[in-house]
Amino acid sequence: MGSTEKTQKPIYFGWYVCAATVFVAFVTTGARSSFGIFIIPLEEEFGWSRFMLSLAVGTGFLINGLTQPFVGRLFDRYSGRTVIMVGLVIAGLATASLSLTFNYLYLFFVFGILLSTAMSGASITNTMALLSKWFHRKRSTVLGINVAGASLGGLTLVPFGMFLLQATSWRVTWLALGVIILALALPMVYLFIRNSPEDMGLQPDGDTDAGTADAASERQRGPIEVEKWVDSFRSWPMWQISGAYTVCGATTGMISAHFVPYAIGQGMSGTMAAIVFGVMMALNVAGGLGAGFLGDRFGRKNLLAAVYALRGFAFLFLLLFPGATGVWIFGILAGFSWIASVPLTSSLTADVYGLRALATITGISFLFHQVGSFVSIIVAGLLFDLTGSYTVPFAIGGALLFPAAISAFSVRERKYSSRYQSGTSLPAAGD
Amino acid sequence: MMASMINFILAHQGDAADPELLRWIKIQLDHIFGSGPWAVVAIMGVVIFAMPVFIIVVYLMQAKRRAAVAPVIQEPQEHERVR
Repeated sequence: MGSTEKTQKPIYFGWYVCAATVFVAFVTTGARSSFGIFIIPLEEEFGWSRFMLSLAVGTGFLINGLTQPFVGRLFDRYSGRTVIMVGLVIAGLATASLSLTFNYLYLFFVFGILLSTAMSGASITNTMALLSKWFHRKRSTVLGINVAGASLGGLTLVPFGMFLLQATSWRVTWLALGVIILALALPMVYLFIRNSPEDMGLQPDGDTDAGTADAASERQRGPIEVEKWVDSFRSWPMWQISGAYTVCGATTGMISAHFVPYAIGQGMSGTMAAIVFGVMMALNVAGGLGAGFLGDRFGRKNLLAAVYALRGFAFLFLLLFPGATGVWIFGILAGFSWIASVPLTSSLTADVYGLRALATITGISFLFHQVGSFVSIIVAGLLFDLTGSYTVPFAIGGALLFPAAISAFSVRERKYSSRYQSGTSLPAAGD
Repeated sequence: MMASMINFILAHQGDAADPELLRWIKIQLDHIFGSGPWAVVAIMGVVIFAMPVFIIVVYLMQAKRRAAVAPVIQEPQEHERVR
């Protein structure tokens, strides 16, 4: 028995890194998503219109997408840990300082520009790039856990902020959210986030018997690993992955902006429509975790194609079954597929292009995603105004998902992915 | 047109902050706890605080095992000093 105890290995440090990044995603996504609860108090106190507040939020989303590749470049070039820490410090201070809001320009600058830029530093795009260094065989699983943490953050911190606001004031609530970032998330980064396993004399996945660290590092390199992000655009997978991810952004953006109005138009009450939307958000967690777990067992690209196809069928059912039935079927199918694409896309990108410029490359993919989202929201609204229904925009969105699925399916994972270069037996990608 | 689009985005911005959903969640939680907002704040606050504490406790509980393989796995702080 004594020998059994002696041979027990400690938990691989990568799991602490994973836990810390999950908590960072939980806190930052939750704090950022809480803006909705401040709208009415700000309107009442300052007399700002909904449009003015919307502009600050819309600008924030745009800035977040635009800055991500640049922040990703800093991540790749210098230290990921430092970028995440600096991003978190600024995000915490900016969130807390929103409690001092006295002027619209102050709110616009702090929330729309400063906080959104800082959030790019501590974003899941960066933390997923970091986790990709710590995990190779279990990469997709940990990335799924990471995005599930972000979803849980929205589901937990928003109600928390809402009740705190009711108990105190909007100023105290902003301050509390900032303190949570600074006092809870920041120490986690300081204590547990390290740039790579090699920095601690470890190997990815916690391997100890797979040869030298150099050999482990070699296993992570794919046949088309790039030194510079621009080189990734000279190969097909980048276009296939980013093209599909743009459609992903377009369809999730369309759903997020127009789903509840559509459901109300189908005869549902506002509350019931919002409940379906909430169920969809909750299923996000299961979808993210499930996709990550399965991605490590069955390969990324086939599953990614299945996720897009599933969402495409969700749109199809929505249009084929009018009324509450179609809305509920859509809610369940779209809920499972909503963020399931994120861990699969990021892990596939890491497998194909390696780790050297990963944060920049995934930052660019994220920019594609956000542009798709922004454009689809506007176009869907325009088409609604022109046709008087959501049938045309939803049909276009659903139809685009099938080419996206084909695009993902056509990635030659077996040829390009580092998972299939090591000689170890892995499930077929089915190229 | 643009304004109405942006209003749409804000009103239902694709996260858990949908105003209708928040109202419904609040009614449900009020019904469950029934003792004012502070009870919910306290419970959720404890849950949020417990997450990092749990991670740190697990890390500390593993100290003995890490020490047993110390030549292979260095403590993070030690490594930072080396760097």
